[in-house]
Amino acid sequence: MAEDGVHDSQLLKGVLSLALMRLLAERESYGYELVTRLHELGLTEVQDGSVYPALGRLERDGQVTSRLVASTGGAARKYYRLSAPGYVALAHIERAWRSLVGALDPLLSTPVPAKPKEALP
Amino acid sequence: MSQEALTKQDRMRIELAVKKVAWQLDGRVPRAKKRQVLNELRSNLTEAAEHVGREQAVQQLGDLKALANSYLELYRGRVDIRAGVFWAVLAYWAVQVLGLALFFAFRAGVAAGGAHGATYSFEPWPGFGPFGGTVSSNGNTNTFTVLLGSPAHLLIVAVAFAIGSTYRSIGTRRRA
Repeated sequence: MAEDGVHDSQLLKGVLSLALMRLLAERESYGYELVTRLHELGLTEVQDGSVYPALGRLERDGQVTSRLVASTGGAARKYYRLSAPGYVALAHIERAWRSLVGALDPLLSTPVPAKPKEALP
Repeated sequence: MSQEALTKQDRMRIELAVKKVAWQLDGRVPRAKKRQVLNELRSNLTEAAEHVGREQAVQQLGDLKALANSYLELYRGRVDIRAGVFWAVLAYWAVQVLGLALFFAFRAGVAAGGAHGATYSFEPWPGFGPFGGTVSSNGNTNTFTVLLGSPAHLLIVAVAFAIGSTYRSIGTRRRA
Protein backbone atom coordinates (compact mmCIF):
# COMPACT_ATOMS: atom_id res chain seq x y z
CA MET A 1 0.00 0.00 0.00
CA ALA A 2 1.26 3.47 -0.78
CA GLU A 3 2.17 5.53 2.27
CA ASP A 4 -0.46 8.14 1.65
CA GLY A 5 -3.00 5.52 0.56
CA VAL A 6 -3.18 6.82 -3.00
CA HIS A 7 -2.26 4.69 -5.99
CA ASP A 8 -1.78 5.79 -9.54
CA SER A 9 -4.88 4.69 -11.46
CA GLN A 10 -2.89 3.75 -14.58
CA LEU A 11 -0.53 1.62 -12.49
CA LEU A 12 -3.52 -0.03 -10.83
CA LYS A 13 -5.10 -0.74 -14.19
CA GLY A 14 -1.91 -2.43 -15.31
CA VAL A 15 -1.73 -4.76 -12.34
CA LEU A 16 -5.46 -5.36 -11.85
CA SER A 17 -5.45 -8.64 -13.80
CA LEU A 18 -2.46 -9.85 -11.81
CA ALA A 19 -4.17 -9.00 -8.50
CA LEU A 20 -7.43 -10.65 -9.57
CA MET A 21 -5.69 -13.79 -10.76
CA ARG A 22 -3.69 -13.98 -7.54
CA LEU A 23 -6.85 -13.62 -5.44
CA LEU A 24 -8.63 -16.24 -7.52
CA ALA A 25 -5.69 -18.59 -7.11
CA GLU A 26 -6.33 -18.41 -3.38
CA ARG A 27 -10.10 -18.84 -3.48
CA GLU A 28 -12.98 -19.09 -5.92
CA SER A 29 -14.78 -15.77 -5.73
CA TYR A 30 -17.40 -13.51 -7.34
CA GLY A 31 -17.21 -9.91 -8.55
CA TYR A 32 -18.25 -7.91 -5.52
CA GLU A 33 -16.34 -10.17 -3.13
CA LEU A 34 -13.18 -9.61 -5.19
CA VAL A 35 -13.73 -5.85 -4.98
CA THR A 36 -13.99 -6.02 -1.20
CA ARG A 37 -10.91 -8.24 -0.99
CA LEU A 38 -8.96 -5.70 -3.07
CA HIS A 39 -10.21 -2.89 -0.82
CA GLU A 40 -9.13 -4.85 2.26
CA LEU A 41 -5.66 -5.07 0.74
CA GLY A 42 -5.60 -1.28 0.63
CA LEU A 43 -6.45 -0.88 -3.04
CA THR A 44 -9.45 1.26 -2.20
CA GLU A 45 -9.29 3.24 -5.45
CA VAL A 46 -10.17 0.16 -7.49
CA GLN A 47 -13.70 0.69 -8.75
CA ASP A 48 -16.24 -2.07 -9.13
CA GLY A 49 -16.73 -0.89 -12.69
CA SER A 50 -13.16 -1.79 -13.62
CA VAL A 51 -13.15 -5.16 -11.86
CA TYR A 52 -16.25 -6.66 -13.53
CA PRO A 53 -15.08 -6.16 -17.14
CA ALA A 54 -11.57 -7.28 -16.13
CA LEU A 55 -13.07 -10.57 -14.97
CA GLY A 56 -14.90 -10.87 -18.27
CA ARG A 57 -11.61 -10.29 -20.10
CA LEU A 58 -9.87 -13.00 -18.09
CA GLU A 59 -12.74 -15.38 -18.82
CA ARG A 60 -12.66 -14.57 -22.53
CA ASP A 61 -8.92 -15.25 -22.59
CA GLY A 62 -9.47 -18.60 -20.90
CA GLN A 63 -7.56 -17.70 -17.74
CA VAL A 64 -10.55 -18.12 -15.48
CA THR A 65 -13.69 -20.24 -15.62
CA SER A 66 -17.02 -19.37 -14.06
CA ARG A 67 -20.15 -20.97 -12.70
CA LEU A 68 -23.44 -19.62 -11.41
CA VAL A 69 -24.34 -20.28 -7.80
CA ALA A 70 -27.80 -19.51 -6.41
CA SER A 71 -27.68 -16.84 -3.74
CA THR A 72 -30.05 -16.35 -0.82
CA GLY A 73 -30.27 -12.64 -1.57
CA GLY A 74 -31.77 -12.92 -5.04
CA ALA A 75 -29.92 -13.10 -8.37
CA ALA A 76 -27.38 -15.92 -8.78
CA ARG A 77 -23.74 -15.07 -8.18
CA LYS A 78 -21.15 -15.75 -10.84
CA TYR A 79 -18.15 -17.39 -9.22
CA TYR A 80 -14.79 -17.33 -10.96
CA ARG A 81 -11.85 -19.64 -10.50
CA LEU A 82 -8.42 -19.77 -12.07
CA SER A 83 -8.16 -22.27 -14.94
CA ALA A 84 -5.10 -24.41 -15.76
CA PRO A 85 -3.89 -21.90 -18.41
CA GLY A 86 -4.61 -19.21 -15.82
CA TYR A 87 -2.12 -20.74 -13.38
CA VAL A 88 0.52 -20.82 -16.11
CA ALA A 89 -0.22 -17.20 -17.05
CA LEU A 90 -0.17 -16.14 -13.39
CA ALA A 91 3.25 -17.71 -12.86
CA HIS A 92 4.51 -15.93 -15.97
CA ILE A 93 3.07 -12.53 -14.98
CA GLU A 94 4.36 -12.90 -11.41
CA ARG A 95 7.85 -13.57 -12.74
CA ALA A 96 7.59 -10.57 -15.05
CA TRP A 97 6.38 -8.39 -12.19
CA ARG A 98 9.17 -9.47 -9.83
CA SER A 99 11.73 -8.92 -12.58
CA LEU A 100 10.37 -5.42 -13.22
CA VAL A 101 10.36 -4.55 -9.52
CA GLY A 102 13.86 -6.02 -9.17
CA ALA A 103 15.11 -3.89 -12.06
CA LEU A 104 13.55 -0.69 -10.76
CA ASP A 105 14.31 -1.22 -7.09
CA PRO A 106 18.02 -0.18 -7.17
CA LEU A 107 17.02 2.98 -8.98
CA LEU A 108 14.13 3.86 -6.70
CA SER A 109 15.89 2.92 -3.46
CA THR A 110 18.45 5.71 -3.75
CA PRO A 111 17.36 9.16 -2.54
CA VAL A 112 16.34 11.63 -5.25
CA PRO A 113 19.10 14.28 -5.58
CA ALA A 114 18.05 17.88 -5.03
CA LYS A 115 19.52 18.84 -8.40
CA PRO A 116 20.51 16.66 -11.38
CA LYS A 117 24.22 16.50 -12.25
CA GLU A 118 25.48 18.26 -15.37
CA ALA A 119 25.70 16.16 -18.55
CA LEU A 120 28.95 14.26 -19.09
CA PRO A 121 31.27 15.89 -21.64
CA MET B 1 -19.71 -5.69 7.21
CA SER B 2 -23.28 -4.72 8.01
CA GLN B 3 -26.02 -5.90 5.73
CA GLU B 4 -29.15 -3.88 5.13
CA ALA B 5 -32.40 -4.98 3.57
CA LEU B 6 -33.06 -3.09 0.38
CA THR B 7 -36.16 -0.99 -0.08
CA LYS B 8 -38.20 -0.78 -3.27
CA GLN B 9 -36.53 2.57 -3.95
CA ASP B 10 -33.07 1.02 -3.60
CA ARG B 11 -33.99 -1.68 -6.08
CA MET B 12 -35.33 0.90 -8.51
CA ARG B 13 -32.09 2.89 -8.28
CA ILE B 14 -30.09 -0.28 -8.93
CA GLU B 15 -32.33 -1.16 -11.87
CA LEU B 16 -31.86 2.33 -13.28
CA ALA B 17 -28.08 1.93 -13.22
CA VAL B 18 -28.38 -1.49 -14.86
CA LYS B 19 -30.73 -0.05 -17.51
CA LYS B 20 -28.23 2.72 -18.30
CA VAL B 21 -25.61 0.10 -19.07
CA ALA B 22 -28.19 -2.03 -20.93
CA TRP B 23 -29.08 0.93 -23.15
CA GLN B 24 -25.49 1.17 -24.36
CA LEU B 25 -25.36 -2.56 -25.09
CA ASP B 26 -28.72 -2.79 -26.88
CA GLY B 27 -28.37 -3.95 -30.46
CA ARG B 28 -24.59 -4.23 -30.12
CA VAL B 29 -24.05 -7.22 -27.86
CA PRO B 30 -25.76 -10.58 -28.57
CA ARG B 31 -28.87 -10.90 -26.41
CA ALA B 32 -27.82 -13.97 -24.42
CA LYS B 33 -24.47 -12.40 -23.52
CA LYS B 34 -26.13 -9.10 -22.64
CA ARG B 35 -28.54 -10.89 -20.30
CA GLN B 36 -25.62 -12.68 -18.57
CA VAL B 37 -23.64 -9.46 -18.16
CA LEU B 38 -26.59 -7.52 -16.78
CA ASN B 39 -27.62 -10.31 -14.40
CA GLU B 40 -24.09 -10.43 -13.01
CA LEU B 41 -23.99 -6.65 -12.70
CA ARG B 42 -27.38 -6.58 -10.96
CA SER B 43 -26.32 -9.32 -8.56
CA ASN B 44 -23.05 -7.57 -7.63
CA LEU B 45 -24.72 -4.18 -7.38
CA THR B 46 -27.47 -5.53 -5.13
CA GLU B 47 -24.92 -7.08 -2.82
CA ALA B 48 -22.85 -3.91 -2.77
CA ALA B 49 -25.97 -1.87 -1.95
CA GLU B 50 -26.76 -4.19 0.96
CA HIS B 51 -23.30 -3.51 2.40
CA VAL B 52 -22.56 0.12 1.61
CA GLY B 53 -25.92 1.60 0.62
CA ARG B 54 -27.38 2.08 -2.83
CA GLU B 55 -25.83 5.47 -3.61
CA GLN B 56 -22.31 4.39 -2.75
CA ALA B 57 -22.79 1.09 -4.54
CA VAL B 58 -23.73 2.89 -7.75
CA GLN B 59 -20.96 5.44 -7.22
CA GLN B 60 -18.38 2.66 -6.81
CA LEU B 61 -19.24 1.46 -10.30
CA GLY B 62 -17.71 4.64 -11.67
CA ASP B 63 -18.81 6.10 -14.98
CA LEU B 64 -21.60 3.85 -16.28
CA LYS B 65 -20.88 4.75 -19.89
CA ALA B 66 -17.23 3.76 -19.44
CA LEU B 67 -18.38 0.50 -17.86
CA ALA B 68 -20.72 -0.16 -20.79
CA ASN B 69 -17.88 0.63 -23.22
CA SER B 70 -15.64 -1.89 -21.46
CA TYR B 71 -18.36 -4.52 -21.89
CA LEU B 72 -18.78 -3.47 -25.51
CA GLU B 73 -15.07 -3.94 -26.16
CA LEU B 74 -15.36 -7.44 -24.77
CA TYR B 75 -18.65 -8.68 -26.12
CA ARG B 76 -19.52 -6.63 -29.21
CA GLY B 77 -21.35 -8.85 -31.70
CA ARG B 78 -20.64 -9.09 -35.42
CA VAL B 79 -23.62 -6.87 -36.19
CA ASP B 80 -24.13 -3.48 -34.54
CA ILE B 81 -27.79 -2.74 -35.26
CA ARG B 82 -27.62 0.75 -33.76
CA ALA B 83 -24.69 1.75 -35.93
CA GLY B 84 -26.48 0.23 -38.93
CA VAL B 85 -29.65 2.25 -38.28
CA PHE B 86 -27.61 5.41 -37.73
CA TRP B 87 -25.78 5.06 -41.06
CA ALA B 88 -28.96 4.06 -42.90
CA VAL B 89 -30.81 7.16 -41.66
CA LEU B 90 -27.80 9.35 -42.39
CA ALA B 91 -27.50 7.94 -45.92
CA TYR B 92 -31.23 8.47 -46.53
CA TRP B 93 -31.06 12.11 -45.48
CA ALA B 94 -27.86 12.68 -47.43
CA VAL B 95 -29.60 11.38 -50.57
CA GLN B 96 -32.66 13.52 -49.85
CA VAL B 97 -30.57 16.66 -49.34
CA LEU B 98 -28.66 15.99 -52.56
CA GLY B 99 -31.93 15.20 -54.34
CA LEU B 100 -33.53 18.44 -53.11
CA ALA B 101 -30.50 20.46 -54.14
CA LEU B 102 -30.60 18.94 -57.63
CA PHE B 103 -34.33 19.44 -57.80
CA PHE B 104 -34.19 23.11 -56.77
CA ALA B 105 -31.57 23.65 -59.45
CA PHE B 106 -33.88 21.99 -61.98
CA ARG B 107 -36.86 24.11 -60.83
CA ALA B 108 -34.78 27.27 -61.07
CA GLY B 109 -33.82 26.22 -64.58
CA VAL B 110 -37.46 25.68 -65.52
CA ALA B 111 -38.42 29.12 -64.12
CA ALA B 112 -35.45 30.82 -65.79
CA GLY B 113 -36.42 29.21 -69.10
CA GLY B 114 -39.81 30.93 -68.92
CA ALA B 115 -42.07 28.06 -67.91
CA HIS B 116 -45.37 27.71 -69.74
CA GLY B 117 -48.42 26.07 -68.24
CA ALA B 118 -47.08 22.57 -68.25
CA THR B 119 -45.54 19.86 -66.10
CA TYR B 120 -41.81 19.32 -66.34
CA SER B 121 -40.43 16.07 -65.08
CA PHE B 122 -36.98 15.58 -63.52
CA GLU B 123 -36.03 11.93 -63.36
CA PRO B 124 -32.53 10.95 -64.50
CA TRP B 125 -33.20 7.21 -63.98
CA PRO B 126 -36.92 6.69 -64.55
CA GLY B 127 -38.50 4.21 -62.16
CA PHE B 128 -35.31 3.69 -60.17
CA GLY B 129 -34.63 6.97 -58.36
CA PRO B 130 -33.37 8.24 -56.03
CA PHE B 131 -33.68 11.63 -57.68
CA GLY B 132 -36.94 12.57 -59.27
CA GLY B 133 -39.90 14.92 -59.24
CA THR B 134 -42.03 17.23 -61.29
CA VAL B 135 -42.50 20.98 -61.54
CA SER B 136 -45.98 22.09 -62.54
CA SER B 137 -46.37 25.60 -63.75
CA ASN B 138 -49.57 27.44 -64.58
CA GLY B 139 -47.91 30.73 -65.37
CA ASN B 140 -47.78 32.25 -61.85
CA THR B 141 -47.25 29.38 -59.47
CA ASN B 142 -44.86 26.45 -59.47
CA THR B 143 -45.65 23.34 -57.47
CA PHE B 144 -43.29 20.43 -57.17
CA THR B 145 -43.04 16.92 -55.83
CA VAL B 146 -39.90 14.99 -54.85
CA LEU B 147 -39.36 11.25 -54.56
CA LEU B 148 -39.23 10.13 -50.92
CA GLY B 149 -38.91 6.43 -51.55
CA SER B 150 -37.75 4.47 -54.56
CA PRO B 151 -35.85 1.25 -55.32
CA ALA B 152 -32.62 3.30 -55.25
CA HIS B 153 -33.50 4.70 -51.80
CA LEU B 154 -34.06 1.18 -50.54
CA LEU B 155 -30.80 -0.03 -52.05
CA ILE B 156 -28.76 2.86 -50.62
CA VAL B 157 -30.32 2.49 -47.17
CA ALA B 158 -29.75 -1.29 -47.21
CA VAL B 159 -26.10 -0.91 -48.26
CA ALA B 160 -25.52 1.80 -45.63
CA PHE B 161 -27.10 -0.43 -42.97
CA ALA B 162 -25.03 -3.44 -44.01
CA ILE B 163 -21.74 -1.51 -44.01
CA GLY B 164 -22.56 0.57 -40.92
CA SER B 165 -23.61 -2.42 -38.84
CA THR B 166 -20.58 -4.56 -39.66
CA TYR B 167 -17.65 -2.27 -40.39
CA ARG B 168 -16.32 -2.54 -36.84
CA SER B 169 -16.24 -6.32 -36.95
CA ILE B 170 -14.57 -6.18 -40.37
CA GLY B 171 -11.89 -3.92 -38.84
CA THR B 172 -11.52 -6.22 -35.86
CA ARG B 173 -11.10 -9.31 -38.08
CA ARG B 174 -8.46 -7.50 -40.16
CA ARG B 175 -6.50 -6.53 -37.05
CA ALA B 176 -6.72 -10.12 -35.79
